[in-house]
Amino acid sequence: MMTSDKEPIASFNYIPGGLEDVLEFLKRTRSELRELRKARVWPDRVQIYDVNSDYFEIAGLGYPDQDITPLLTAIGTTFKPEFIHNPINAPYKEFKTGRRHPWAEDRIL
Amino acid sequence: MATVTENQSMNDANDRDPFNNNSYGTLVDDGYKMVKLPVLDVTDFNERIIRGYEDGTAEKELPADLSVARSIVPAGTATLRDFSYVAPEIPEYINDNCTGCMDCVTLCPDTAILGKVVGEEDYAKRLAKIENKEDRELFDRFAWSEPTKYYAGPKKKTGEGGKFSIIIDPSKCKGCAECVTVCDDDALRMVQKTDDLMTDIKKVHRIFKEFGPSDDKFISDKLLIDMMLKEQTHIYVGGAGSCAGCGEGTALRMMCSATGAKHGSDWGIIAATGCNTVYTSTYPYNPYLVPWSNSLFENAPAFAMGLRMRWDQMGWAEKPIWCIGGDGAMFDIGFQSLSRMLASGMNIKVLVLDTQVYSNTGGQASTSTYMGQNTKMSVHGKALGGKQERRKEIAQIAMMHPRTYVAQTTCAHVNHFYRSCIEALEFDGPALVCCYTTCQPEHGVADNMATDQAKLSVDTRAFPLLIYDPRKGDTIRERLSLQGNPAVNDDWWVNPKTGEQVDFIDFCRSEGRFGKHFDKDGNPSETLNRAKQERLENWKQLQELAGLFDKNRTAAKPVAKPVAASGNGLPKGFKSGSKIKYNDGSSWVTGVVESVEPVRLSLDDGSRMEVSGEILREAVAVGIVTLQS
Repeated sequence: MMTSDKEPIASFNYIPGGLEDVLEFLKRTRSELRELRKARVWPDRVQIYDVNSDYFEIAGLGYPDQDITPLLTAIGTTFKPEFIHNPINAPYKEFKTGRRHPWAEDRIL
Repeated sequence: MATVTENQSMNDANDRDPFNNNSYGTLVDDGYKMVKLPVLDVTDFNERIIRGYEDGTAEKELPADLSVARSIVPAGTATLRDFSYVAPEIPEYINDNCTGCMDCVTLCPDTAILGKVVGEEDYAKRLAKIENKEDRELFDRFAWSEPTKYYAGPKKKTGEGGKFSIIIDPSKCKGCAECVTVCDDDALRMVQKTDDLMTDIKKVHRIFKEFGPSDDKFISDKLLIDMMLKEQTHIYVGGAGSCAGCGEGTALRMMCSATGAKHGSDWGIIAATGCNTVYTSTYPYNPYLVPWSNSLFENAPAFAMGLRMRWDQMGWAEKPIWCIGGDGAMFDIGFQSLSRMLASGMNIKVLVLDTQVYSNTGGQASTSTYMGQNTKMSVHGKALGGKQERRKEIAQIAMMHPRTYVAQTTCAHVNHFYRSCIEALEFDGPALVCCYTTCQPEHGVADNMATDQAKLSVDTRAFPLLIYDPRKGDTIRERLSLQGNPAVNDDWWVNPKTGEQVDFIDFCRSEGRFGKHFDKDGNPSETLNRAKQERLENWKQLQELAGLFDKNRTAAKPVAKPVAASGNGLPKGFKSGSKIKYNDGSSWVTGVVESVEPVRLSLDDGSRMEVSGEILREAVAVGIVTLQS
């Protein structure tokens, strides 16, 4: 999917140690986005895109930070934890977000 | 434009369907599909029984007469079904961005997004026939584009460009957003349904159907993806009861299109019980425009053999028969019937909808299920991490039957899929096409992910593409092609964007059905590492069969035999105080299991290790840790 130069429809400033605040922000504003599509992770920010290429931006939290792992996990992103903090020769890393809980996954027959 | 009248036909505008969106014909209007059968009155069925189901009175008011009791359903009745109320959102077409790639049309599971191409001169004439000025402007403004593929290219060559249209059928769209996801050009977006918007969409869809067919001169037969611009390819109409985004629905649509392009509606389907039979024959709705029948879970290929013999007797040898089933029907319960049919040499084509699970009955493991997959019959728990057996490979098994055409494909690989179906039809003998299909609720993926996950299944060697065509030569390597897989000579594909290897673990990370195999730090379980090795073995076997295997390379290391866990989660025979040996890579070091919770190993060289029971089992399986004898 092409991603145009849109402004984020909501944004939040991360303060080190403030993961809970970020998750609360996402929970509060989640309904502003449609089906999530991908996360774009920069050294200093994260952008969470939906199928329409609308996105939230969390400034101050990038792939070098430890808190990026629980954030990406919380939004169902597919990424390799062992490489997530590594620097790359590109402006950002991009991961898809399509994982869900299977139907009745905890049901024992 | 249709208008509401008294005593309306279900195939005309009526009070419940004022713009006549639920009507026969996909790209253009059509009448009921009549049949000459003494036991089925199509008009009565559609006007009385379908009407009863649509207005909600069927259960109480329809008598149990012969027509109802026989459960015979006319062709294409699903087109009269209204799904416009099931989703809160619907795609909106942004015509300026459209390149006419046809991905959205091809990959919609519900025949809810439709394409048409018309020469610009003809377009102007047809547009002028729309009497209402507002409707005309609405239709012209929102429905049509001039992509280079149809407009600038042909205009340069012939002097006339083609106007291209994408339309959403509001009565068939289930709001899965698959079309928006597969669009690389931002030409579709999901929008909230409102009364005004739905009125416009219904109106535009109605005009679209009255606007006439595509102009064939703008449709290249060489471009398989343009197939669905022709009405005759829409053999699978919208209105089936499959889940939103169902991968199977797309596979059925595409198979029907490939067959319809050559044979129209002059062919038939025998379906094995499963999801596919439920959502395509939920009485009284039938999305097929060809004869279709279902008998049992286990006997579809045998049923198809009987039908083939009868049709041949009737002089219908040229009419194709497709036999459809899921992995439960074809890998497991109907496997002997399938094998018998393939061995018969009869001209029957099989489409396997491989979801790796019994989707219809709630997600039980089949022999197609991947190692490690969490299913209702292989529940992930302390003792076992999901299914422990290897996956059966129906394609390789089918290849070993006498002179059988075999393909393994996905809908995400559109040309490969179409080519597989077309070649299967051209092959004078049995053919099997196994298609990877998502089951969103059982796989644990979002409704819009069918294409993404199918592509990833190929990229990660979970489901390699293959075509085995006995006409290509006398040896397996001549007949078998792995073309279409990434990095076909390598073990795994390396994503050039990230430089990272993409393997089966990555596939598992992206789906909820493997979610319990990852610890809080994202490390995969021992079972999943074995599953990755098992997928690599399968891939290397295919490489070897296709003549790609480099003799200088080492063969895949065999998958270590899983080690059974005892009640404490440790390998059998291990308990607190057990004397062990640990291989540090150069020598054995003796030690003892110091504790079970947590699992702590104390070695005689003074080192201590704290591990999970699962990691200890893996260490025992590969021979790093063992009990002292």
